[in-house]
Amino acid sequence: MKARQVISLEVEDKPGVLSRISTLFSRRGYNVDSLTVGHTHQPGISRFTIVVQGDERTLEQIRKQSQKLIHVLTTTHLEKESSVMREFALVKLEYNEDTSQQINELVDLYGARMLDSTDGALIVEFSGTERKIDLVFEELKELPVLESIRTGKLGMKIGK
Amino acid sequence: MSEPANISQAQMTGAQALVKTLEMLEVDTIFGYPGGANLPIYDALRNSKIQHILARHEQGAIHMAEGYARIMGKPGVCLATSGPGVTNLITGLADAYLDSIPLVVITGQIPRALIGTDAFQEVDCINITMPVTKHNELIFEEENVVPSLKAAFYIADSGRKGPVLLDFPKDVLSNKFPHHFDHEVKLRGYNPTVVGNIGQIKKALRLLAKAERPLILFGGGITIAKAEQEFLQFIRTTKIPVVRTLMGTGVIADNDPYYIGLIGTHGNSIANRVVQRDADVVMAIGTRLGNRSVIKSHLFAKNAKVIHIDIDPAEIGKSVTIDIPIVGDIKVTLQTMNERVSKRPLGHEEPWITNNYQERTTMLPTKDAASVMEDIFVELSKIDIPLHVSTDVGRHQMWANHHCTNPKHLPLLTSGGLGTMGFGLPAAIGAWFAGQDTPVVCLSGDGSFMMTLQEFSVAVEHKVPLTVIILNDFRLGMIRELQDAQYGSRHTVHDLHRCTNFPKLAEAMGGMGYSVKRREQIGPVLREALNNPLPTLIDFDMEKLLDSIHLSLNPIAS
Repeated sequence: MKARQVISLEVEDKPGVLSRISTLFSRRGYNVDSLTVGHTHQPGISRFTIVVQGDERTLEQIRKQSQKLIHVLTTTHLEKESSVMREFALVKLEYNEDTSQQINELVDLYGARMLDSTDGALIVEFSGTERKIDLVFEELKELPVLESIRTGKLGMKIGK
Repeated sequence: MSEPANISQAQMTGAQALVKTLEMLEVDTIFGYPGGANLPIYDALRNSKIQHILARHEQGAIHMAEGYARIMGKPGVCLATSGPGVTNLITGLADAYLDSIPLVVITGQIPRALIGTDAFQEVDCINITMPVTKHNELIFEEENVVPSLKAAFYIADSGRKGPVLLDFPKDVLSNKFPHHFDHEVKLRGYNPTVVGNIGQIKKALRLLAKAERPLILFGGGITIAKAEQEFLQFIRTTKIPVVRTLMGTGVIADNDPYYIGLIGTHGNSIANRVVQRDADVVMAIGTRLGNRSVIKSHLFAKNAKVIHIDIDPAEIGKSVTIDIPIVGDIKVTLQTMNERVSKRPLGHEEPWITNNYQERTTMLPTKDAASVMEDIFVELSKIDIPLHVSTDVGRHQMWANHHCTNPKHLPLLTSGGLGTMGFGLPAAIGAWFAGQDTPVVCLSGDGSFMMTLQEFSVAVEHKVPLTVIILNDFRLGMIRELQDAQYGSRHTVHDLHRCTNFPKLAEAMGGMGYSVKRREQIGPVLREALNNPLPTLIDFDMEKLLDSIHLSLNPIAS
């Protein structure tokens, strides 16, 4: 059954590692919904969280093919029940007398943070589950959004 | 070799360090082509014992390295320059990648300061070659020259073997640096599984013991793992019949009672039938179960439970559903299996099916060039001396796979996964440089030979005992065959015409050419060409030969 799956890759932070991962995924026809990458607490180690569409077999292949890359250290399937996942978003909104009340309510409701206000443009940070960010973006349809960006998922397995 | 005491830390150029590392790794032969960016390496090679074979095109160099690697069972080394040097290597890299041939490919790159500026002969080597290499790396720091090179040999020659490419900017090669040589290879993210899981092995043996019609399907992995003896011991002890893929030549004799045939689109129908329909347990060993072998993955072994042994976990379950996966080195895994079955036999008294050699090999007489090809390969197989035989790609490749049966000529060096026309000639030349004083033969067609024929000149230069056999039907035979089968015999672009005089071409390049037009000449000319110390080429005129065969078969004419 095709479903969205989340895979976490622990990789050596070598030049071209992003290219290796993305080349592999496009070459083998894996559909990527989102991909995030960043450093970890260990020097020289980065972590990818990749959301892909695929059935069990595809997922198995993705893990095995990724594991074949010399710079990939571990691959983990992040399952809903046994992991936490978060997404971040930045949204720039037209902030004026007409919109301020609605924006303030939204910020309160979703526990967002106002990061900057310049020339009547307010930048707000949202974070939470993918579902929560989806809801935020639903509500934003009613508001004068100037610019927006979502990070895609970050994930981590629970327990030791 | 006497070495200075402080050898572990000496000021030398990157190129000198590179050559010194190759010597430490016991590289004896490199196939290559020079250019601006790799000249520092050529300068350093002047004082080395390493033999450099100058190809006439980088594609020739890399196929030679493949032929060498296949015979030696260790990585072939290939050297090319930046830009077009790199792009000319792509076919060979892809070929080696698909057929799991260990290569270390060294390319020169433009100096670091110019990278990314579209400088002269600059291409993005790493990104171009990424999908067709097991691993590749741009060596951006002098200190990485030696450790990366050592790692490249280790990666290429372990686990599932394959090509590794290292790209060296010219200034990294030219700058002096205190290079170290005593690193050990440490790769955190690379630990190939060698020993198969014992629980899985036991499960597999239990399944085989319970089976009524167990079958083994094997591919080129047996030869790559050097596991021929272990394999034969296993099937003889357990009485399990076998079928093979195109890459599995030379493991078991064609007339062996346990051998049922070749599977796949160009295989024997009996072999395809037993694997698709008859067997109740199939154990696949050292094959990636590619689409040309299994034909239709949903029909593959449809009445059987499937065990799959392979060194590459990603091949298991990729295209066919597997009941018992075993990841591990084939030799080690078969040793374990042999130990277990010697203590606890599987209980099969005799194979449930045996080699029907007569039925499988007797072809109906056809008015087709195929019958001539068969004659030529049968005559070649009668020449009972050791030969390394390569093929090109096309009809002759498939017929050679069926009819080249002399074990002294096997395994065939053939391009299985990529199907590279032009592989045969350079691969045969590379096989000669693998030593062992064995003459080499390239089986080719008039189409394939034209793709890399310039390498004949290398054979002449080095007095390689090479015989090129051209099965000349004056056309692209397999294209015609496909157009017959799938495009209502609407023939287009398959005709090569009688434009080229191949024997004269061979002579112009310094070799010897023969032309064969009559059937009774086949054997004698083959023997004469193989005895000729010059590189030779035999042009078999398939049309004339076909006519002569029909004449000789016709009682009135005789």
